Amino acid sequence: MNLRNIAAFASLFLLLLVIGCGSAEQPAEETAATEAAPAAEPIDPATAATISGKVSFEGTAPRRRRIRMDAEVACAQMHSGPVYSENFVLNDNGTLRNAFVYVKSGLEGRSFPTPPDAVVLDQKGCMYTPHVVGAMVGQTVRVLNSDQTTHNVHPVPKNNREWNRSQAPGANAIEATFARDEIMIPVKCNVHPWMKSYIGVLKHPYFAVTGEDGTFEIGNLPPGDYTLGVWHESLGSSEMQISVAAQESKTVDFVLEKAG
Amino acid sequence: MPPQPNHDPITGRSMSGPILLVTILLVLSTFWALYDEFFGTRPWKAYQARFASKYSRLLQEKLGEQKKAEEDVRNSTAFQRIEQQTREAEEAVAPQVSEIDREVRDLDRRITVLRDAFQIARGEVTALIYQVEVASSERAKEKFRAQVEQVRQRLVEVELPVPDGTTENRSYIYDELESEYDRLKERKAELIAQRVRLLESANQLRAQRDTYLKDNLVGLSPLALEGILRRTKEAPIKIRQIHVKEADLVERCESCHLGTREPLLITAADMGGERVFASHPNGELLALHDPERFGCSPCHNGNGRATASVVKGHGRHKYWLWPLYHPENVEAGCQQCHVSDFVLDHAETLNRGKELFRLRGCIGCHRYEGFDNQNEVLVSVQKQLQQLADRRKDSEIEAERSIQAGDRAETNQEAQRLYQHAENLRVRASNLDAQTDQLQRRSGNLLREIKQVGPSLKEIRVKLQPGWIPVWLTDPHEWRPTTKMPRFRLQDDEVQAISAFLWQNAIQARLPRQPRGNAVRGKELFETRGCTACHSMGEGENQVGGTFAANLSRVGEKVNYDYLVRWIHNPRERTRPYCPFEKRDLTPADYAKHGLPFEFDLDHATCPNDGHQLQVQQMTVMPSLRLTWQDTRDIATYLITQRRQGANDYAAADFLEDNSLFETGKSLVRHYGCAGCHEIAGFEQEGRIGTELTLEGSKPIERLDFALLTHEAEREGWYNHKGFFEHKLADPAVYDQGKVRKPEERLRMPKPNLAPDDIDALTTFLLGSVNPTVPEQFRYNPDDRRKDIQEGWWVVTKYNCMGCHQIRIGKPSVLMTLPRYQDPDWREQLPPNLIGAGARLNPDWLAQFLANPALSESNLNRNGVRTYLQARMPTFNFSPGEIRKLVRFFQALSSQPLPYVPPKIEPLSDQERTLARQLFTHPAAPCLRCHATGDAVHDRTANAPNFLTAPERLKPDWTRRWLLDPARISPGTAMPSGLFRQEGERWVFAGPLPPTFRNYSGDHANLLVRYMLQITPAEQRLLLSRMARASSPSTVGLAANLLKSH
Repeated sequence: MNLRNIAAFASLFLLLLVIGCGSAEQPAEETAATEAAPAAEPIDPATAATISGKVSFEGTAPRRRRIRMDAEVACAQMHSGPVYSENFVLNDNGTLRNAFVYVKSGLEGRSFPTPPDAVVLDQKGCMYTPHVVGAMVGQTVRVLNSDQTTHNVHPVPKNNREWNRSQAPGANAIEATFARDEIMIPVKCNVHPWMKSYIGVLKHPYFAVTGEDGTFEIGNLPPGDYTLGVWHESLGSSEMQISVAAQESKTVDFVLEKAG
Repeated sequence: MPPQPNHDPITGRSMSGPILLVTILLVLSTFWALYDEFFGTRPWKAYQARFASKYSRLLQEKLGEQKKAEEDVRNSTAFQRIEQQTREAEEAVAPQVSEIDREVRDLDRRITVLRDAFQIARGEVTALIYQVEVASSERAKEKFRAQVEQVRQRLVEVELPVPDGTTENRSYIYDELESEYDRLKERKAELIAQRVRLLESANQLRAQRDTYLKDNLVGLSPLALEGILRRTKEAPIKIRQIHVKEADLVERCESCHLGTREPLLITAADMGGERVFASHPNGELLALHDPERFGCSPCHNGNGRATASVVKGHGRHKYWLWPLYHPENVEAGCQQCHVSDFVLDHAETLNRGKELFRLRGCIGCHRYEGFDNQNEVLVSVQKQLQQLADRRKDSEIEAERSIQAGDRAETNQEAQRLYQHAENLRVRASNLDAQTDQLQRRSGNLLREIKQVGPSLKEIRVKLQPGWIPVWLTDPHEWRPTTKMPRFRLQDDEVQAISAFLWQNAIQARLPRQPRGNAVRGKELFETRGCTACHSMGEGENQVGGTFAANLSRVGEKVNYDYLVRWIHNPRERTRPYCPFEKRDLTPADYAKHGLPFEFDLDHATCPNDGHQLQVQQMTVMPSLRLTWQDTRDIATYLITQRRQGANDYAAADFLEDNSLFETGKSLVRHYGCAGCHEIAGFEQEGRIGTELTLEGSKPIERLDFALLTHEAEREGWYNHKGFFEHKLADPAVYDQGKVRKPEERLRMPKPNLAPDDIDALTTFLLGSVNPTVPEQFRYNPDDRRKDIQEGWWVVTKYNCMGCHQIRIGKPSVLMTLPRYQDPDWREQLPPNLIGAGARLNPDWLAQFLANPALSESNLNRNGVRTYLQARMPTFNFSPGEIRKLVRFFQALSSQPLPYVPPKIEPLSDQERTLARQLFTHPAAPCLRCHATGDAVHDRTANAPNFLTAPERLKPDWTRRWLLDPARISPGTAMPSGLFRQEGERWVFAGPLPPTFRNYSGDHANLLVRYMLQITPAEQRLLLSRMARASSPSTVGLAANLLKSH
């Protein structure tokens, strides 16, 4: 009876010993599931939709800022009349020029090829033409100097790399790409403080800049739910939710108000 | 039933059971003891086994990845191209190389045979010549000479191998043999050299190929990984120990922390979450402090020798005095050796702790060796001055006595000796005068350098709304949550008594009445002149601006407008000067007594009564922005509108005038040590009331008074230094809990209102404040330029230079982080980046600039260099000593030697000057578009400094680097890159060049540097007139304007 107890005790002891020996625990293997990015689906032209519309302004238009470029004879000569800042250009029909309309979200997970042709930004008469321009990530932006004076081209991005290069008259075009999407990258010339341009860089080709009639059109868009954004230099940003069905042509209008 | 036999105690009771039991226990305990001996007290063995298996697995994985990566590089076209070229180059010379190799082999065989024969012959000759030398008679010498000759003429037969594999028999006399042997050796050397030449290009290509592989393979090469893997697998299980002899350090930490120094970066996740195996988190720091030299525990604490358990090794044990620092306090370890560094790389928490200690005014009550001790130095300087005066007096008396004794001397010789003695004493006295002058200057400088954490309370009568004072004293945090003023535990009657004393004790004076200004303009100025580098506006989430100085959201409720105007115009201006000798503030009467006007400033700083240096400035670090009175009033008007309630909304405080409260108030002010941070009449010489904290971290735990919380602390595991500091800082009254004490016996330390991060930072600082246990040579007390850097930081941080300027790489200034300066146009309004400023600036110029940032005696309302910046470089009224430290600091940061000897700048030839002028005025190089010229109209749009400052200000090497790529020195600068392009060895202007440049072969960047650094006002005028002429007459515009001004 006693012996059995002892034996039991001893075996328990031995068991503990064994457990003690093997106590180097093995932590559980980590299972890090890497989420695979959804593969890019090709856009089916048969189902593609179009969004179009205009960007109009409500309120009293601010006075246009006159640009004095007397100091730069070469540029002043290129303009016949007075030159005004392009930070706020109201079209005759009450719409806004130089508003950047783009698909802000809804295209995540898709990828789009980079267009082979370059976006051109010209410096003419000490003004950037166009004033607002869009480009895709990785797309070449070609900056020309059509003036008889030296400019420096100085994009001041937040998320991309900053650079600042001098461009003499007749010098080769500066070609640059932007690696990350950003709304908007201001471009300035430090020699001519009035010169300013904005580049909107996106991962997809769904953007447009309003022109003389204040309209925009974004086509070849796969059906779905989107956030449509608009950006204007002086009036800030705005956005709206929109969903488009297959082959639908939808018209949406933005109305921007004077801030404050 | 058989009878029961008598119980035999010997046979009837078997002991086998107990014996078995005991035996089993004995065996088991033997096993247990053995197990415990080999594993139980040696837990590191299990760690090492586990590490080896996990690390091997990790290495295998990495090896696979790296092999793949290497393969990718090898398959890249660039690599393949070089490989191909290498192969082609090798193949091209292969026939020649193999021909050479063959010939060398043949030569080698022949050389071997010849060498043997030659060495035997030479041995014989040498032995005989020795005989000649040692022979005793001329005859014997003659005999040996003949033998030498005989041997030399003897024919030696050799069997020379020939290329076809057979041999030929040749015979040589000694000289022939030697020359043939030498000839073959030379031939061989020639062939080998030829071989090297042939393979040169192939070898170069191979090296290029290997470099390409190395440069393009990220991480360790597969070969290196295989080496590590082999080492890991073969590593024996044993104690890993570092022994640092000179410090008597034995560190066995790496017996468990096996990944600490592995070349492969190991994360805890790599090792199944076991942090013990991770690499040291800061490789750079580890490289600076090689564990072989510094060990582990000097930085981390813990018990380096203990290996029996984790707790023991980490020293987290009641009886171990140096427990391992917790992660949030790990930088405490830096302080042990880096006491003299106010700003230390890799130690941001510790830096923050030191900053708080000074900024929050801990230093007002607690002495800390090395922290702002100008007061103490001033006392010692004054003592020295007294001693010098005494010695001087003694010398004079002694000299007088000596002369009299000389007059009465008995011999001429004796008289001469005494006269000479008198003369020596007088010369010595005059030397003492020089010393006295210096000390007096020094004491004046010290008076300039002494700053106080809080404002002067002598001025409150002219400055403050009376009703606000008791509200503030009751709870400063309630009124201004971010204030550095701590909250004292005051009863209402104490508040009243203190307020009344301060009020009645303050100076009564009438300040000039100031008209109101324009608040809208004032707001703009406040936000753009640079005020926000130190001050913030808006509360809570809306707070914008620096935290170095007060938040001004409610400043309009407390101050008088007239005082505010004076303060903003020149914060250092006092109502009365203070004489440290007489220990009182001087009044206009003191000046009138001596017929002097009541004028006192840094140029009029001696006491009219006794000639001692006066304190003529408010002891604030706030500088003067050299604002016009109009700008000042605009800003003051803006600030005075910053209020939540009207000044009159505070309850009337009639008790301020109650004389009966004066004495009580005075003793309370003394009791609470108000004078630690504030200037208070009658308390100027008051000492610090708190305990010195220099060695607080090594104070025995028994001497930290946990009071009634001792048991609670022990129970909850915070009965240690860290716990004491953290609880004390969070609530200084905590150790009064449950104590029965009279109000005046209670703990006096006020509540500092610290955020948890701040408590960690201060705790880190205090934990590191120890009596160093490491040997002297470990401590960081450099005496070269690194000392200049150490000393400079104390000044840089004292005046918050980093509010406006970036000084450390990766540490933006305060202004850089403010919303306004995120706008691209405003970003160009940021004050200059000072990284590398020492390489840019001539130190002599910098010293002048720091003394007078307007660079002008008359026109003060401007910046001296960057006239286009809205933010104004203020006048700090630095003492000469501070200027010296700052200049040395910046030079040292850029590794510049001092004193600076400007390199000679080659004067320009006439041709070069013409070229430089053409370049400067060329439309392709619009230098003068952006750079200021001194013309008001033009400078309105200028955004770069005037070239006229360049010759005195800039160093040529830096100027050249700047021209070539400014963005590399100052990212985001308005100055564009790409102005020059490289053409062979020289840099040429990248734009279209005037035709005259065709014949110029020099470096264009150098030409411009030389031109700029020698530019004169006349030269600049010439440039401007040329630019004007270049414009067509109808559109003269700018150039004409420029001309008008010159």
